[in-house]
Amino acid sequence: MAKRSMSSKRRVAATIVVLVAIIGLFVVRLVDIQVVRADSLSADSLGNRSVEKTVYGSRGEILDANGVVLAGTVMRYDVVVSPKNTSTFTRTVNGKDVSVPVAQAAAEIGAITGQTAEAVQGIVTDSLTENPKSDFAYITKQVDVDAFRALDALDIPWLYLYQNPSRVYPNGAVAGNLVGFVSGEGEAQAGLELGQDSCLASNNGIETYERGADGVRLPESTVTTKAAVDGSDVVTTIDSDLQWFVQQVLAKQAQATGAAWGNVVVQEVKTGKLVAVADYPAVDPNNVSATTNPDDRGSRAFSASYEPGSTFKALTAASVIDAGLADPNSQIVAPFRYLPANGANINDSSGHGDLRLTLTGVLIESSNTGMSKFGELLNDQQRYDYMTKFGVGSVTESGFPAEDSGILHAAENWDNQTSYATMFGQGLTTTALQVSSIYQTIANNGVRMPVQLVSGCKAADGTMTEVPSAEGTQVVSPTAARETADMLEMVYQQGWLAEKWKIPGYRVAAKTGTAQMPDGKGGYTKGYLVSVSGFAPADDPQYVVSVSLADPVNMNSSAASAPVFQEVMSQVLKKYRAVPSGAAAPDLSGTW
Amino acid sequence: MSDNLARAFESAPLRPDHDPRTGAEERRHIEIVSPSAHKRPRVVYALSAVACVGAVIVAQLLLSVGISQGAYEISALRASQVELGRTASSVSEDLIRVSSPQSLAANAEALGMVSNSSPAYLRLSDGAVLGAPSSASGSQAGAASLVPNALLAGVPLVTQLPAGGQGTSVASAAAATAGSAPLAVAVTDGLPSPTTR
Repeated sequence: MAKRSMSSKRRVAATIVVLVAIIGLFVVRLVDIQVVRADSLSADSLGNRSVEKTVYGSRGEILDANGVVLAGTVMRYDVVVSPKNTSTFTRTVNGKDVSVPVAQAAAEIGAITGQTAEAVQGIVTDSLTENPKSDFAYITKQVDVDAFRALDALDIPWLYLYQNPSRVYPNGAVAGNLVGFVSGEGEAQAGLELGQDSCLASNNGIETYERGADGVRLPESTVTTKAAVDGSDVVTTIDSDLQWFVQQVLAKQAQATGAAWGNVVVQEVKTGKLVAVADYPAVDPNNVSATTNPDDRGSRAFSASYEPGSTFKALTAASVIDAGLADPNSQIVAPFRYLPANGANINDSSGHGDLRLTLTGVLIESSNTGMSKFGELLNDQQRYDYMTKFGVGSVTESGFPAEDSGILHAAENWDNQTSYATMFGQGLTTTALQVSSIYQTIANNGVRMPVQLVSGCKAADGTMTEVPSAEGTQVVSPTAARETADMLEMVYQQGWLAEKWKIPGYRVAAKTGTAQMPDGKGGYTKGYLVSVSGFAPADDPQYVVSVSLADPVNMNSSAASAPVFQEVMSQVLKKYRAVPSGAAAPDLSGTW
Repeated sequence: MSDNLARAFESAPLRPDHDPRTGAEERRHIEIVSPSAHKRPRVVYALSAVACVGAVIVAQLLLSVGISQGAYEISALRASQVELGRTASSVSEDLIRVSSPQSLAANAEALGMVSNSSPAYLRLSDGAVLGAPSSASGSQAGAASLVPNALLAGVPLVTQLPAGGQGTSVASAAAATAGSAPLAVAVTDGLPSPTTR
């Protein structure tokens, strides 16, 4: 038993010694890691940390009716240097180390970004004088993939490239005034970009992952802390090919006549959809700064209201017929000057003797006095109600930002002159859209369709939301609309521009307008706003075309806008394969 | 696993008081089980356990080597996916740019095409001609591009490509032809026509 006890004691002692030795080892190791090598170890772990990365959600596209991209998102890259680290570095070329001085590197960067070597070096020195420890300075922003690859291949250690999603407009100024643009920071600024921002906007996400010392992402370490959400697409009713053609024709005529600005609206009669809304001058959203006047950067078709002038007479005629107080053959005598009982003073644009005109003749001759004699058959409130039903005085349903409602005072506020002036398109203002909508109503058997520019917000899975209402309202009776259309066809056939706007093979209804423009000080400028509005084919109306040119100094009459109407309407009829008119036009007499 | 327990070789009757036979030869006897019979299996078991642990370690090592190899492969593939994505978006940008109306119109013009704004239709059912046919005169729209597109700067026209790509932009080429009346495009060496063999 004694022997056993001895051995057991020795065993216990040995165990204690071993335990103490092991614990001692751990303590030494602990002190070594936590105290002695703490700095170098935590420095090592820097490269081992988890990395946070922004995952960019892509802003939705703006599409035309056929899916052509009017505005899209592309990845661009910002070029950044670390000025405090800018120094000579070595680069391996063909297996040999070559020393590259800063000046050479700057020249190489400049050659790709289109800057001079001095400019690049200037950015670095400017940044250093401002802050000697500066670690961040932009060389340039938004370079494309080719430049990105070239810069990446330079292998400059103090040069960084950051992703920066950017907006691109592949069709340039085609629908540029409608599409609008975003700022350099991606904030929506104008047009549909702004108006439909809630549909287009995306949200960036964040994912974190861990990477090894060599930068390789560790398997299974990716954690998405916030998912990126792509924006939805805005589908417009615009046809980009037609839009281009219309803009081209408008710009050509506007330049030839010296017009300050102009616009053309093409609207589908049966649906109220806008297939083209052209503005001159056009803005190229890729290069907004090239358009210096801020007013030119939007769409005046939506945002500028003016006195419509004689194109408005169609509304008055339709109202009077709808109320059953006249028909196309009703007869009046139109003097040059008409002095109604209420004290107003109405005269025509050029002197003439008394004319024995029918309502049709009043429209053909565009007589203000004649129109007054028909218009006074309705009282002010009745005419005001007709105007509001036609959409005058309120913004359209298009949803375009900063749209003008035009000015239409309440009937009880009309003075004696305004009471008559509103019969032939003065004393109130309308936008080009509202005029187009009036003609759409007349062409569509008196049913006004909501003006539609956006047909919806299309999500990635193809579902359309925010689809606008397609419910029309009956403004005047189908008979009144039909008879007004017949009279407008007589205007097209017999008016003074009959030869200028002739479209062989088709029956067309149209009316000109020449209106004075406000000078912003309560008076009028010398220039005129000349316009033509109409629709075709008259026997089965499909499209409304409405042209306005402001102050065409070389040709101050609606003869300036007639060729635009003729060309645009021809193209529209050709493009949409409108069948040429078969039946003969009605025969209405303008005089008696 | 070891089984060196004492055990009864012959079980007693479940209820001995019911058994009429009781005698010395029928008494239960207990015998020590020899432990030597179990020595060999214990070594085998130990070895196999060690081998198992070894195999697990080796397998785990191989697996993690495989996974990290995969990580490098994933990383390389991810990088090439990003590169290919960049190439794809770059070329599709080019494509969309040259399919813009301005580019198409300038190229059509350069190839000697003019637009006809007066359409006519032939109805197949009765051979009737609808509309008023007339020859193409080129319309107002066919002249210089008045609808700017900053993206087309420096993009050559299709007619300029085979000649070594002088790099004249669509905009400037269109501006150059603007002088030659919109009625007819000046074609010096005839309209290009396909070679039929």
